[in-house]
This record gives sequence, structure tokens and C-alpha cells, in this order.
Amino acid sequence: MILFTRHVKLSVGVLCGFALCASAAQAPQHINIKQLTTTVEDVVVPLPNEIFGALNKLGSVNWKQHVRSDKGPNFTERPRIALLLGTVIADGFIAVQAEDAPAVKDIGQRVLALAKGIGVGNSITPHAKAIIDAADKRNWDNVRQELDRTQNSVQQAMNEVHDEKLSQLVSLGGWLRGTEVLTSVVKEHFSNDGAELLHQPDLLSYFQTRLQAMPEFNLLIIREIQDALVEVKPLIDVGDRRIPPESVKKVNEITTRLGHGIVTRD
Amino acid sequence: MKRFAKVMFRTSSLLLVLLALQPAIFASVDDAQAFALQAAEPYVKQGFQVREDYWGGDLGSGEKKAVRQQLFKGNEYWFWLGTEVDKAKVSVHVYDSDGKLAEESDGWEKGHFAAAHVIPKATGSYFIIVSVEESPEDRTHWALVYGFR
Repeated sequence: MILFTRHVKLSVGVLCGFALCASAAQAPQHINIKQLTTTVEDVVVPLPNEIFGALNKLGSVNWKQHVRSDKGPNFTERPRIALLLGTVIADGFIAVQAEDAPAVKDIGQRVLALAKGIGVGNSITPHAKAIIDAADKRNWDNVRQELDRTQNSVQQAMNEVHDEKLSQLVSLGGWLRGTEVLTSVVKEHFSNDGAELLHQPDLLSYFQTRLQAMPEFNLLIIREIQDALVEVKPLIDVGDRRIPPESVKKVNEITTRLGHGIVTRD
Repeated sequence: MKRFAKVMFRTSSLLLVLLALQPAIFASVDDAQAFALQAAEPYVKQGFQVREDYWGGDLGSGEKKAVRQQLFKGNEYWFWLGTEVDKAKVSVHVYDSDGKLAEESDGWEKGHFAAAHVIPKATGSYFIIVSVEESPEDRTHWALVYGFR
């Protein structure tokens, strides 16, 4: 019995020791962010479905009314294609939320066509096929994963040929479409928690900085987006205050206007 | 013939040295990312979607890096840090924009991995601080991936 007790004690000791080894070391409860001497890396732009997921938890959303799968015009300017590509990938995430398989398949084809138009079609072909296969099987988690992979592959392929600016436009297109839908949903059924999802000032600053570094893309839509972000900034950069319904409505008007501009020929 | 033998000896010595140094020379952030993804694997079964995008680089012992990330209230996040360097000790912690520790208490550090769990109290910017606490190497590759549900 003593031997058994000793054995139990030893086992508990080993388990506790392992747990202590595996648990995190004590981190300071507070750090001075302003005095961070370390370099701060660029933000990773959240996927539209990160926002949609949070939105879904606030109440049921009629995603079907936001599905958009029309083909739209074909552009020749690469920055325009990049913006549109980001928007269409975001539309893919919306179609997944709506569990609309035909729309997802159309979007998969559209993504492939746009990627080809921008010269990165090869890296997208397997993902487009996987999106269509997963939509056929209604395996929505796989479609989400493949849409993320698609965006990542497009951007990696662009970065490899030093087209980082186009890659940033893909992210921007997705963010604008995501914000358009977010504000549309929150505008219809306003809640403070829903409006709080718009609190993304650093992300907006990130896009502003990136756009300022693209003087060579002298396109009307790029200039319109730059001006619009200046309008949006004070509406969402509110610190600890709440974002009121009027601000949500205003951001929705701005992003809807930009969304229309992205998919429409000048 | 003597000269040929000398060249052969030098070439094979160089090859042997290269072979011995191979892990250090050819190790990369991609290897670190593979470890980070390995740490994330069990969480996928719990419904976390792991992003394809990731951050990476190299740090010396005792060095830190801050990564800024937009998090949304309502979502739940895990950040996984990986390194390919044996016997390195790495850590990851998450702070809100006021500098307050924002992670849950179930974060962990073990071997090639460290992880931090966040359920944001507010939507906004957060700082993810990655650190190489100890390492046998001068520079230690790291990669950070995250997942959400």
C-alpha cells in the first residue's frame, strides 16, 4: 500500500512537472506599447470571414441577400484586376456563408479568370478546382480554406515577381467588400457589438500608407479609394467611444460606392 | 596524379563540412512555419481555421518582435509560434492596445513551440510579442501562425 501511495505521489509529481514545463512562463501583466523598442511587423489583413464569423455570432444574418456572382467586366489594367480579384474572393466567402454552391462555383471560375488576367493563373488552378469540388460536396470548411489558400497563393505569386503593390490591392479589395457587407448587415439590425466590429483604425492606416506608396497607379478608382479612406477614418477611429448608427450608415454608403466603382468600367 | 588526389581530398572535405553544417545553412523560416503548423494541428479538429498567411524571421537569444494584429470581439484566436532549432526556448504573449496582457491562462510553451489563446474583450489592434528566450544558435528562425473560430 505504501509502495502504491509512493507510486501515485511520484506519478502526480511527474505529471505536475510536465504541466509546469508545458505551461507558459509568467508574462508581465502590462507593457508599455509606446516604448516597444522592437520593430512592429506589418499587420496581416484579416480574411473577410473572420469578420463574418464574428458577425454571425451576434445573430442570424441573411447572407443570401449579399451573394453576388455576376461576371462583371474584364479589365486590362493590372491594379484594377487586383482590386477586383480581392473583391471576388470576398464574394466567395459571402457565398460560403450563404451556403450557395452554384454561386461559389461561379466565383471559383471567376477567380481563375482574373488570376490568369494578372499572370498568376498557374498557381490558382488547383485551388479553383478544389473550391468547385468542395462546393459540389457542400464541404464549406474546405471551401473557406481553399479561398484563403487562393488569396495566399495569388499574393505569394505576385510577391515573387515583386508585384507587392498588386498583392496589397488584392487585400484592399477584399477588405472593402467585407466592410461593405459588414456595414450593410449592421445598418439593418443595429447593435453596438456589431458596430464595434468596424473599429479597425490601424488596418485603415495600413491601407492608407500602402496607397500613398503607389503613385504609379494613376487610376481614378485608386484616387477615389484614397479620398474615401480619409472620410472613413474619423468614423471608425473613435477610441473607447461607441460607433453610432449614423457612422455605420455613412461607411456603408462610402464602401458601397467604392464597391460599385471596383466592379464597373470607368 | 598527386594534384588530382589533392583536389579530390579538398572537394570531399568541403562536401563533408557542408554536410555537417547543412541543418544550420539550409534551415529556414519555412521549417519554423512547419513547426508552427504542427502546433496548430490539434486545434483544427476543434474548429479553428488556420490562416495560410504567417509572419516569420530570425531573432537572437533574448530578442523580441512585436506583431500588430486586428482581432474581432466574438471570435476566439490561438497564436502558435514555432522554431526548427532544437533546445531553443520561444514564447508568445498577446497584449491589447493599452499594453495590458490580453491572453487566457491556458497558453503554453514546449520544445519547438509556444502558443497563446485570446478571446478578445474588444474589437481592435492587439500586439503579439514573440521572443526567443534561449537558443544554442546565434540567430533562431521563428514563424507565427494563427487560427480563429
